[in-house]
Amino acid sequence: MDYTIETKDQEAQVRMTGRLTFNDHAKLRALIKEMLQNAAKRQILDLSSLEFVDSAGIGMLLIAREELSNLDKQFVLRKASGQVKRVLTVAQLGKLITIED
Amino acid sequence: MVFAWLGKNTESASRKNGSAPAFYAPEPESPLKIVATPPAPAAATVAHTVDYELLGRWIGFADVQRHTMDVLRVEIERTSALVEDSTLDLSRRFQELAETARDQSSRVDAIVAMARFIEIDGDKVPLDELVNNMQTVIDEMIANIVQLSMKAMNMVYLLDDVQKDVVDLEKSISDIDAINRQTNFLALNATIEANRAGDAGRTFAVVANEVRHLSKTTSDLADRMRAKVSAVVKGVRQGHDILRHIANTDMSPQMLAKDRVDKTMDSLVQQTNHFQVVLENTSASSEEMSKVIGRMVTGMQFQDLTKQRLEHVADSMTIVTAGLEDLVARTRASIPDGVDIPFPQAWLDSLLDRFTLSEMRQRFVRRLLMEGTALDEHGILDVSHEDTQSGGGDVELF
Repeated sequence: MDYTIETKDQEAQVRMTGRLTFNDHAKLRALIKEMLQNAAKRQILDLSSLEFVDSAGIGMLLIAREELSNLDKQFVLRKASGQVKRVLTVAQLGKLITIED
Repeated sequence: MVFAWLGKNTESASRKNGSAPAFYAPEPESPLKIVATPPAPAAATVAHTVDYELLGRWIGFADVQRHTMDVLRVEIERTSALVEDSTLDLSRRFQELAETARDQSSRVDAIVAMARFIEIDGDKVPLDELVNNMQTVIDEMIANIVQLSMKAMNMVYLLDDVQKDVVDLEKSISDIDAINRQTNFLALNATIEANRAGDAGRTFAVVANEVRHLSKTTSDLADRMRAKVSAVVKGVRQGHDILRHIANTDMSPQMLAKDRVDKTMDSLVQQTNHFQVVLENTSASSEEMSKVIGRMVTGMQFQDLTKQRLEHVADSMTIVTAGLEDLVARTRASIPDGVDIPFPQAWLDSLLDRFTLSEMRQRFVRRLLMEGTALDEHGILDVSHEDTQSGGGDVELF
């Protein structure tokens, strides 16, 4: 998995590509740290280019949400498709994280 | 007087049959008048002469007609019996059919009642409730997987940190060792300097010795700590590996299996509903069939009426035949001997032509032969002759 961050005003756009699996746990921790440190109140995770997510990936997204919410930052998942969208739906992640199309 | 009733019957028979045959005496009283001297009306100028040839022809015709009537009566009775037997048989079979249809309907009803439920440990659980329960169980399972994944990842991150801390700890122990070595070295130097000072340095030598002692104790402690920390590091690394292994087990395919399970369940419910509708229709059809058959059985009871009517017809024919027989006897007695009584072959031929049912024709022919009316006109008296199968007007018997 790779990511880029673009910050505009109060919004940080994180664009994720490839496959998000357990092997990315160190990289994701770095991303969480960046999101915690930047000034934006709203952290948008663009999943349109993410091809696959495993259960560890879902766990890491929940950790990100928890840590951001501790700093009163909003976490949004956007434009998920294919397997990613199906896993998010089945896991009912919408109950915990804001999911947008 | 004897024929008062006969006249009436003949009249009604004539009306039914249209015109009477040409050689049939239209007035029933006329044969009676034959015996009497021709009446002499006051104005009569022409004397009536009795046409014996015509009477002879009438007798021949009336004989055959009487037998014909008899045969037809028997045929009517046979037909009535046949219809009755067949109707009773049909009625019985239809009743069986109606009963079967009712049975089928109740069996299908039983299936419909069962189709809604699934029996689990003796409890009848409605199918849709069962599906809902299963979906809830699966949802809970997936929620647990998600929570577990999150906790596992939290643990992974924590152990990552602990590993870093342990590395720091190992470095600190090494630092203690370095400080200790230096302390020991300083204490050694102090001892040497104290000895060189002689008595004045004796007390200092004791202190320097204690410091060396302390350094040795510290070094021992550092060794014990290093051993313990190494054990901790080993344990943490093993735990970390196991946890990575757990967290690395992807459960997303199991989560996605929910889609398939949901679809399967939906199909199951849909199919069951469809079966139920079909079975309900089947039950209704069977019930309707049973009712229709019941009405058919009731309808067949009109056979009774048919039977009564045919009995009336047969009775009337008996009376007509008796009257005819009586009249023939009287007429025969009143004509002189030697008058030719011809057999109405042409009439009989045309009558037999109409009997297309060979069985009925055979019965008719036999009856005439047994009565001896048409005896041996053509020299054939084969009563056991069975193969008159052809439907045409083959009347060679006469």
